[in-house]
Amino acid sequence: MLRPTLNEMLAGLQRTVMETLLPELTSPYAQAQAMAMIGVLGDVASRLDSLPAYHAAEQKDLAATLKALKRIESRHVPKKLRKALTRGTRAAGNKVPDHRTMESAVTEFATALALGELDATASRLIRGYLKRHTDRLRATLARPLPS
Amino acid sequence: MDHARLTQYLKRQMPHAADLRVLGLKRISGGASRETYSFDIEWTENGAARTRPLIARRDPTGGLLKSEREREFRVLQAMNRAGLRVPEPLHLELDHAVMERPFFIMDRAPGYPTQGAFPETEPPALAAKIADQFLDELARLQALDFSTLRLEVLGEPPALDRIAPQQTAHWFEIYERDRIGEQYPVLTAAFHWLRKNPVVSDRVVVVHGDFRSGNYLYDHDGMIAMLDWEMAHLGDPMEDLGWASMMFWGREQFAGGLMEREQFYRLYEQKTGRKIDRERLFFYQVLGNAKMAVICLTGIRDFAEGRTADAVMPFLAALLPSLLDDLARQLKLL
Repeated sequence: MLRPTLNEMLAGLQRTVMETLLPELTSPYAQAQAMAMIGVLGDVASRLDSLPAYHAAEQKDLAATLKALKRIESRHVPKKLRKALTRGTRAAGNKVPDHRTMESAVTEFATALALGELDATASRLIRGYLKRHTDRLRATLARPLPS
Repeated sequence: MDHARLTQYLKRQMPHAADLRVLGLKRISGGASRETYSFDIEWTENGAARTRPLIARRDPTGGLLKSEREREFRVLQAMNRAGLRVPEPLHLELDHAVMERPFFIMDRAPGYPTQGAFPETEPPALAAKIADQFLDELARLQALDFSTLRLEVLGEPPALDRIAPQQTAHWFEIYERDRIGEQYPVLTAAFHWLRKNPVVSDRVVVVHGDFRSGNYLYDHDGMIAMLDWEMAHLGDPMEDLGWASMMFWGREQFAGGLMEREQFYRLYEQKTGRKIDRERLFFYQVLGNAKMAVICLTGIRDFAEGRTADAVMPFLAALLPSLLDDLARQLKLL
């Protein structure tokens, strides 16, 4: 095992800022920046743990959503979105799925949903994805701002 | 900001001030779109000792907004002349040679800012008083005849049917530039909705552009001054009202943390003598959420690409989920 681990290094740097740098700082602005650094280092540690799972879940969900849309394509997907759907499902079928292309295809569907261009069946699929997507974003990114 | 250069600069600006000294120069947090410094000056004039608390705002190397340098200063001047609650602007310096980047100096108003929403810990009577003063200021701002304000820096007034499309295009362009390859399905969808559903304004007013809790100073007697005018422009009066009453700056039912939202709207109508156009208000609340998300992306990009070393910038990513949630709810995407 290569020690210190990344998390140990980040925790150590947080302590360095807190215990050695901060007491030496007299400027309130510099103190606030040091506190923000401690927060950022904590954020990095938490993202090291959560980001791989976030990306994996996002990729799986995008692929599943596109495949579900493909299954209802003939009856429920507007003609103008079919090229995007084809690009997206192809990207999902790659050995290494192309995240950007899948996301871009789903974004076109989200836009169509906002513009009232999807029927109830397709809307339900996209709403489901967007709900899970925003929940994942909140769980991964949301935290209080430093004061 | 260099103490000696600042002192020399002020001596040139104030030739009548003998023995001028700059005291307590320190950078302060806040006003993330510019570097902000607080200091006092002492001098002698006609034999009398004088002091004045001041603020210097300097363009950053990077930051949240790419604001025009003169804009905030000229608008502050106009608002000060018009009698609004703003700090008096004193000196504008656009020459990079003086202090590396353009800056301006203004009076330092007393009081303290809120961190976003007005705090629940403050007495409800104070919140109600500040809500009244806040909307009073907004009504006074929107009642000004911009053509008499000497605000050429804001450009020509847009046509009433071009205001919403121009604002949408402006923020969409920044989104396309600053999303650095990332795709935000909800935000992209929101911009397409805004482009497809533009509203037509009923009049052109000076829009503050960031009129909200967090941008005024207050004390136990009430609101003292409205700050951060760098996004001011000519536009629709619903833009500032929509921005001020966004869920993001307040609590579930309280606009800006100050007052129950529907009461806030009624008070605005009383102050302005005009009925709120709910369709336009909704449009500008959607635009407001999209705009704030884009401002966050600009800060993230500047940090990621090394244009700013401000350690608070990475935290802007933490604001995105709430903004995207609000947008998704507004547009019934969930």
